[in-house]
Amino acid sequence: MLLESVEYARPDTVEQALTLLSQREGAAPLAGGQSLVNVLKHRVASVELLVDISRIDELRRIEARSDGGLEIGACVTYDELDGSDAVRASHPLLADVAGHIEDQQIRDRGTIGGNCCLSDPTNNLPPLLVALDATMNIRSRSGGVRQVAAEDFFHGYFSTAVGEGELLCSITVPPLPSPGGAGYSTVSLGADSKALARAAALVRGNGVIEDARVVLACFSAAPMRHHGMEAALRGAPATAEAVAAAAAGIGDGLDPPGDVHASTDYRRALAPVVARRAVCQAIGNGGDERG
Amino acid sequence: MTTTAPPQTETWKGQSIRRTEDRRLLQGQGEFTDDVWMHRQGYAHFVRSPLGHARIRSIDTSRAARLEGVYAILTGDEVREMCPTPFFQIAPEPGGRIAEYPLAVDKVRYHGDAVAVVLAETRELARDAAGLVDVDYEPLPAVVDTVAAADPEAPLLHEQVGSNVVWKGDFDWGDVDWALENADHVVKIDRLHFHRFSSTPLECNAAVVHWDPGTDTVKVQSNNQMPMFASMVIGPTLGVASNRLTFSSQDIGGAFGIKIGSYPQIAALALLSRKAGRPAKWTEYRTDHMLSAGHGNERVFLDTEVAVLKDGTILGFKTRAFDDAGAYLHYEPLGAVIWSQVCCGCYKLRHIHVDYTETVTNKCPTIPNRGYSRLQHLWFLERVVDVVARELGFDPVALRKQNYVQPSDYPYETPNGCVYDSGDLPRSLDMALELIDAPKWRERQRELGRGSGKRIGIGIGSTLDSGTNNFGQARIINPNLPFSGNGEAAFVKLDLYGEINVNLGTTPQGQGHETTAAQVVADVLGTSPDAVHVTAGFNQQQNTYVAFSGTYASQFAVTGLGAAQGAAERLRAEIAEVAAFALQAPIDEIEIRDGNCFVRDDPERAIPFIGVANLIYSNNAVLTPELRERISLNCRYVYTPPFQVPDPETKTGNLTLTYASQIHACVVELDEHTGEVKILDYAALDDCGTRINPQLVEGQVHGATALGIGAALYEAFEYDESGLLQQASFYDYHAITALDTPDIKVGDIESPSPFTPNGAKGMGEGGGAPLHAVCSAIQDALSPDDAIVSDSHNPWERVWRLMRSGEHGEPRGVTVASRSDAAGSDATA
Ligand SMILES: Cc1cc2nc3c(=O)[nH]c(=O)nc-3n(C[C@H](O)[C@H](O)[C@H](O)COP(=O)(O)OP(=O)(O)OC[C@H]3O[C@@H](n4cnc5c(N)ncnc54)[C@H](O)[C@@H]3O)c2cc1C
Repeated sequence: MLLESVEYARPDTVEQALTLLSQREGAAPLAGGQSLVNVLKHRVASVELLVDISRIDELRRIEARSDGGLEIGACVTYDELDGSDAVRASHPLLADVAGHIEDQQIRDRGTIGGNCCLSDPTNNLPPLLVALDATMNIRSRSGGVRQVAAEDFFHGYFSTAVGEGELLCSITVPPLPSPGGAGYSTVSLGADSKALARAAALVRGNGVIEDARVVLACFSAAPMRHHGMEAALRGAPATAEAVAAAAAGIGDGLDPPGDVHASTDYRRALAPVVARRAVCQAIGNGGDERG
Repeated sequence: MTTTAPPQTETWKGQSIRRTEDRRLLQGQGEFTDDVWMHRQGYAHFVRSPLGHARIRSIDTSRAARLEGVYAILTGDEVREMCPTPFFQIAPEPGGRIAEYPLAVDKVRYHGDAVAVVLAETRELARDAAGLVDVDYEPLPAVVDTVAAADPEAPLLHEQVGSNVVWKGDFDWGDVDWALENADHVVKIDRLHFHRFSSTPLECNAAVVHWDPGTDTVKVQSNNQMPMFASMVIGPTLGVASNRLTFSSQDIGGAFGIKIGSYPQIAALALLSRKAGRPAKWTEYRTDHMLSAGHGNERVFLDTEVAVLKDGTILGFKTRAFDDAGAYLHYEPLGAVIWSQVCCGCYKLRHIHVDYTETVTNKCPTIPNRGYSRLQHLWFLERVVDVVARELGFDPVALRKQNYVQPSDYPYETPNGCVYDSGDLPRSLDMALELIDAPKWRERQRELGRGSGKRIGIGIGSTLDSGTNNFGQARIINPNLPFSGNGEAAFVKLDLYGEINVNLGTTPQGQGHETTAAQVVADVLGTSPDAVHVTAGFNQQQNTYVAFSGTYASQFAVTGLGAAQGAAERLRAEIAEVAAFALQAPIDEIEIRDGNCFVRDDPERAIPFIGVANLIYSNNAVLTPELRERISLNCRYVYTPPFQVPDPETKTGNLTLTYASQIHACVVELDEHTGEVKILDYAALDDCGTRINPQLVEGQVHGATALGIGAALYEAFEYDESGLLQQASFYDYHAITALDTPDIKVGDIESPSPFTPNGAKGMGEGGGAPLHAVCSAIQDALSPDDAIVSDSHNPWERVWRLMRSGEHGEPRGVTVASRSDAAGSDATA
């Protein structure tokens, strides 16, 4: 078989899904399948029962909250995020990022929850959700909902705060600070290939940066906040020069992996560049500026 | 010959009529190899080496064989027993001692080498069973660098060869020592590296092979693009006569030369089919394709020295070239001579010395890839010209124009006896620069100050696409090879009710042969292309062919259409004869137009094609015995170019008939912080002589341009030290997509070839111009103290490093030695 033979179930509710997941050893949730099916095809992991959660209604909703934030079901697809008026209204950057993941076929199926649970360091959404200070709502059969800050959610490839028998059910994204904004910057080889380096940022303030979250991805197993750069930004004027000064040298303390696409040295050199560009976009200063 | 003038001055030739093929292809009605289904067929899957170099201790197929639905499993040892002889080698001694069988025997020599093949009831089962074949390997040290492979101490791939050097030759024309002594400047370039990549056909390799015990014939339905070559290589190895081994294909989803290389698998499938007593169907997975279908040639040029006069005249160069053929010689070492079709590129260089070494390495075998062997050399020459311009302070445009072969020089004989047929390179360059509005970008380049974070560069790629090979050049590689000339066959007939049908010897893969052949035949027979049916695809049992038949190496417009035209002219002459008989008119008064034959000045006297067909097919008692005997309305013609046998001693001769040119101009913007390269403007100026269908030519130009840009910036096959391929899927191999491709401005000149039946020149390969232009533009954007662009592959990190090389004081890779009296240069010795 292309895949090793595997059982398949398609529960209608989260309850049923959690029951299946906790009762059966070797059971795993299947969301968009854009990563999991590939992994099974290459036989680097094996699963006995696929619990298809992609059509469970309660996981597919996008809710605009009264505080200006969003509650996004884990099985909302990238294409749905991209096309959602609610997301566009409150968090346009999230819609844009989702709308540029790989190609249309993948965007039709890939889900925000799957993207997070796969937790590939090159995935688009994890650093953005950490920057946006999202909360991940996890459910298990026994224990109701467990809330984990996005910052603590990602541990590494295939490794997150979601435990055995649990499901990531939704993601709460707080409103953007006002005044303030978010930014995102990626270096990749070719329009739709994997990221070599990436940063996401959230800034509060106008004219002066009151607070900032700067998150780097592709530099370690999970997205990481750069507290040093955040501290340097706090209280700084919201100018490209000040941002550049805060970003300078941030690669030096990092120990990113080297591979055939980018060496450790090169990734280090990219860190201040993507961080600076993400923050500049967040302060509305030269988001498009490559300089 | 024909008896009447063409019926109208307007011809179909030269018009961009819509492609006949597109109707079926766009509606999903094409027939590709995977669409072929045979009764009792099984599905094949190859077991491939996970290591770069290893001895095979043992292969245990028992677990796989126990699976229900597995029909047969074949291993290397069995294959060696079944084959009377290994594949025939083009190389002379010592490379010719390589013994390659359809499956690896005793050793695996690259990551992906096939050690066994399984036939099973379903595709999936075959793959599962292949996973259960247990191979015990003893790993061996690998060699993945061609220069290192030439070292006598390097791990040996083929013990019986005694060395990894499989071919070596000295190409020495003119007097390079004189040129270097008498030059005002000698520019020395340490190392230039042309990297490995492929063309990524949408459809991977595929074949359905049936060794039919009933008729004792082997039927191969495949997407191999050079079936006669495949047949000649595998026939003796299978012990099957060529009249019992038949190839066919209808639609092929891209090939680019790579699909010349599927013959070892086809041979293995034939043996598997014989063992199982069933047809064996195989459709390659993409990862298998990337691992083992074949890569383009990688080449290193060491210690290049270029002789330049102070007025900018480039006298010539010498270099040491190392070509990496991968683990086995598939079509190689023909590449070791094919580059010399363009030994001086677009330039009037008269003194050339290339010390050429071809080695095997623990990498996927190379196979001709679009631009085969010439693009490596043309890239090298374009780097040389750009580096000379930069080091000696010449304007790269003026330097090119000064050294180009000039319009008045044609026919131009190169130092090795090739004859450039026609062209206008200086005007082509001017037009390309106009298309991108070069002065505007020069202005922008100046305006961009330090601190902008960006740099702009303008680059040029000058190439020749040499087409219609003289296979006699194989004798320069191996004087004992009985090959020379070239040719293609076509068959044109008038059918039962007067319909026109054409059969070609070619295996088109998207080039629109049905369309252009119909245009050419329609002109000869005075009708519309709609009235000409060209049989789709190739079938050896029905079509006519010669040993050179196939679709490869930029030649269809010359050889294929030359054959179609010749056959149509023969048919026209026969039709006219029958009409003259029927109308009782002198043959030179017969006119043929719109499916009718008339007597000139008396158009009432006419006979339609159906009447002519009737007389020959079903009413022949009314004819004279002489006509009945001689005329069949079934006309075959073989077009052969006027070649002679080259001289293996001096390595000279006319190696190709036509030289299309492509001059590309490109503007890039570099990001100083990340090394990202963005193409801001791009123009391709193409001159392929008379264009039969201009839109089809443009399509080829677009494809070749995208491929070259992909190779220059994104695509590379690289191996780690143990011989593992680092880019074996699309996750890691970023094949260029539409999103990465800039708008391409296309311009053209038509310099008809005086040597071809229709003025056309072969042009599909395109000479790799984008690689040259992109590298040239990156070079132009760098600072004078930065290193030269010495690699054909420039992903962001490499560009980023180049932009820092000057300030880090890294070696620039080039030095200049100038005579003390040479003005106009501040170069140091
Ligand atoms: C060619 C290609 C290129 C790609 N490039 C990119 C890229 O550039 N950037 C990018 O971000 N992504 C990329 N992807 C990955 C894609 O975005 C995937 O869709 C995503 O990583 C996984 O989402 P999914 O919904 O398909 O999850 P699945 O593949 O179904 O699942 C992924 C993993 O998460 C688990 N899981 C899924 N949902 C839940 C849940 N709610 N709770 C608990 N566990 C769960 C599954 O069990 C599995 O282990 C690419 C994919 C392909 C095929």
